[in-house]
Amino acid sequence: MSKNMSELTTNYRNKEIVDALITKIKLVNAEIDRDIRIMHVCGTHEHDIVKAGLRSLLPKGIDLIAGPGCPVCVSSAQDVDEVLWVADNHDVTIATFGDMMRVPGSKESLYQAQGRGVDVRVVYGVSDAVKLAEKAPERDVLFFSVGFETTSCVTAAEVLRTKLPNFSIYSSHKVIPPAMELLMQRDDIEFHGFLAPGHVSTIIGVKPYEFIPEKYNFPVSIAGFEPVDILLGIYSLLKQIKNNEHQVSNDYKRYVKYEGNIAAIKALNEAYVISDARWRGLGVWPNTGHEINEKYGHIDAKKKYSIPQLKSQDLRGGCICDEVLIGKSKPHQCKLFKKACRPEHPIGACMVSSEGTCNVAATYEEMVWEE
Amino acid sequence: MCLAIPGLVCEVVSDTRVMVDITGVRREADTSLLEEALEIGDYVLVHTGFIISKLDPEQAKEDLKLWDEILSV
Repeated sequence: MSKNMSELTTNYRNKEIVDALITKIKLVNAEIDRDIRIMHVCGTHEHDIVKAGLRSLLPKGIDLIAGPGCPVCVSSAQDVDEVLWVADNHDVTIATFGDMMRVPGSKESLYQAQGRGVDVRVVYGVSDAVKLAEKAPERDVLFFSVGFETTSCVTAAEVLRTKLPNFSIYSSHKVIPPAMELLMQRDDIEFHGFLAPGHVSTIIGVKPYEFIPEKYNFPVSIAGFEPVDILLGIYSLLKQIKNNEHQVSNDYKRYVKYEGNIAAIKALNEAYVISDARWRGLGVWPNTGHEINEKYGHIDAKKKYSIPQLKSQDLRGGCICDEVLIGKSKPHQCKLFKKACRPEHPIGACMVSSEGTCNVAATYEEMVWEE
Repeated sequence: MCLAIPGLVCEVVSDTRVMVDITGVRREADTSLLEEALEIGDYVLVHTGFIISKLDPEQAKEDLKLWDEILSV
């Protein structure tokens, strides 16, 4: 098979198919007698939805809500504070993803700490942080690892194979399916279906979502990221809702297998244990974290450095990221949005990452949120 | 951080590394998290330096059929 690369993506952006899907979505929507709210839990979905202007194509009566799908945005101030504590109390190089640089801790971000002399380096991935440690064995390197399963399985690969005395990992990993359950159990938000994250699903497969229709009679569609993929996911959910069916529909089969990525799942299960996790502005969510298994304690920064209990503050100055993260409020409803809080100087975490709901809304500068 | 990007395998470097062409830029990627063997010409998803999934060409063909259905009604 020698399909041309751009042909592969172009087809998934084909205008005719997009138009045909919108028509089909409108037809199904007309047969549903109530307003439908669909939640996605993926920053990349939000980014790609806004960039493609998809909300403006959907008929009235379908609301596509951004849930807490940006792992950078849900990183608690305490995590940042703890990493900075290590940097301030030990001679350590902090390595992390670019997006993490400007996530506010209680007092400052990593970027601001860098400005006063803390050694912080941006890396593309965990393996680059390992290389830093290999090149400078006299220097301690701490990799601040933030992500959902897509990212945490990659960090897991290094947890399992790397044994450098000067390298450690601070885990801020989170797990999506239990977070989805907690969202469904909340009574301050109402929605009718989940668009499940395509790339997390390449790792975990279909099975981890099956409890959602089984226990809650709630439809799920695993969707990819091109416009056609996202619209197919929405169409799939609407059909389920109209027919009162509830199942996990895999609408990203070209990359998502039912069983997921077996090697990656093995790595996750070996490297980590499920734990509680702090979600910025939202408190501690049980069983939604992936901490390093004590078998690999040698690489766990939380064991290597005796980090004290810190008093941290997630939200400041009128920031309502906690409401934006669960789709309770939209960015433009925040008093700070595009005034005091802008991509160039973010106050809240949702404005920091290119996948943060507020950053996406501000960057693409359209009135995508209709009342 | 779901910044997994599609790319084309253009060289097999070793047991655990391949070169991937991502819209014209060639990067090495780690294959340790993939059980299937990769060949030149395979389409893959690369995430922070690791390959996390291989495109299933049969499914991609099914997608073509699905679109024909969608367009035909």
